[in-house]
Amino acid sequence: MEILIAQIFNGLSIGSIYVLLVTGFNLLLLVAMIIHFSFPVVVVFSMYISWVVMTLTGSVTLGVVGGIASAIIVNMITAPMFQHIMKDRGSVDINATMVISMGMGMVITDILSHTFNQGFPIAFPDALTGNDQGALISVGLVSISRGQVLTLVIGVLFVAFLFWLLYKTRAGRAFRAIAEDPNGAKLVGIPLLKTGFQSYALTGILGGVTAVLMAVLLGSASAGLGDQLGHKVLAVSIIAGLGNLTGGLIIGLLLGILEAIIQGYLAGSWSNAIAFIVMLVVILAKPKGVFGSKL
Amino acid sequence: MAQNDSILKINNLSVAYGHVQALNDISLDVKRGEIVVLVGANGAGKTSIMETVLGANVPVSGDIEFKGMHIGGVPVDKNVRNGMFLVPEGRGVFSSMTVMDNLLLGAHHNLKNSTEKLELVFESFPVLGERRTQVAGTLSGGERQMLAIARALMSSPEMIMVDEPSIGLAPIIVNDIFEILVNLNKEGYSILLSEQNVYKALKIAHRGYVLETGKITKSGTAEELLNDEAVREAYLGA
Repeated sequence: MEILIAQIFNGLSIGSIYVLLVTGFNLLLLVAMIIHFSFPVVVVFSMYISWVVMTLTGSVTLGVVGGIASAIIVNMITAPMFQHIMKDRGSVDINATMVISMGMGMVITDILSHTFNQGFPIAFPDALTGNDQGALISVGLVSISRGQVLTLVIGVLFVAFLFWLLYKTRAGRAFRAIAEDPNGAKLVGIPLLKTGFQSYALTGILGGVTAVLMAVLLGSASAGLGDQLGHKVLAVSIIAGLGNLTGGLIIGLLLGILEAIIQGYLAGSWSNAIAFIVMLVVILAKPKGVFGSKL
Repeated sequence: MAQNDSILKINNLSVAYGHVQALNDISLDVKRGEIVVLVGANGAGKTSIMETVLGANVPVSGDIEFKGMHIGGVPVDKNVRNGMFLVPEGRGVFSSMTVMDNLLLGAHHNLKNSTEKLELVFESFPVLGERRTQVAGTLSGGERQMLAIARALMSSPEMIMVDEPSIGLAPIIVNDIFEILVNLNKEGYSILLSEQNVYKALKIAHRGYVLETGKITKSGTAEELLNDEAVREAYLGA
């Protein structure tokens, strides 16, 4: 029972990372109309930038700021490339955006594995992860780290903020209108390109925050991490129902818990394979996603 | 402002989608305070005219003037800001969003005074007030059309373009919608209307244009068109 509780907590904290990544992916899909499955690669890139800044300056704060800033910058720089394709919405296939995303992911992954830390995985300082301070709560077998609590709390707050933004603000209303009917949104005078650009900025901030949380929670990163997460995020989004934000939230957390339980009771190194087999079964049973696609 | 002032003036407008010529040398005008109706079959170009005026299509050639400004190629959001709004064919309301959200989308470019505007809209359309927190997908066809018109009002327009409002509505509801349009016109809104329900539309309009495959084939006062032999034969079944 104690193992179960501990693993559920572990699962919730890694699950909240999945939720953040899936939410970013879904927002780009709904509002900017791109399939950006390399979004997690951009996030891992920001982890690396954050690590570089921390190593060079010795300052955790500057590293955090640098990581978040780099995610926003990468998103804003790549936005025009995607938007060029989407300028003539409706007549252009969304598939072209997948190729761009795939290419971006490969380039970034190559840069990470060739130029940073001679291709070795990077490790974040204890000052960021808090690993040197031991567990925050420790009862029997249940031990909860500061990083886990931080990830969960900030993850929940950030997702709550996103939902507030989507459902209570002017920009969010425009996002939802475009998500439901881009042509209809255009006819009521919502500027599609400008609003799409806002969604890039927003997902940039989201990606940056996620990068920092991942650094805190995982304590390390490798060049291949982005691809691995990219697959999971795409799978979660499709299983939940493409573009379904609430669905992504639930499935993201469930995937985290599922993986943690596999790691707790079965061989840890099989958690990816088993998780994907479970997802395979779910998608066979519910091809349009558990909660329905919003596309 | 003089009655005879044109709020919208289109000169020799041509529009193409790829190689398909949608509009061919269209000239028409809407004067302030008028209801002008575009009649014609499906695919005659009624929607193309409205969407081009709104800025959703870029003209191949020709000129569009709105309130004396040249607006060919001006994007939709700017035109909406300048005082025109389209009530699209099939209502174009966002069914997953609440009535309130749909209305506020009409005022997206300027949310100032939106509370006052909402109050006015709810006064004119009490049913929308009662259902403000409901998603638009739960409304009936007539209520959706009301919502689409009310959303247009939220944008503080001077000219409202209404594309095929009667489509898919029961005759009695169509009468209600047309009455709403007449009342709006009396309040001072200029209206460009497109309709396949030619008789009812000409009954409420001041003037009309007949469109056939992208060209204007006839124009005149509503009365002239109602009494025109060819129009009667083609559109009124008499």
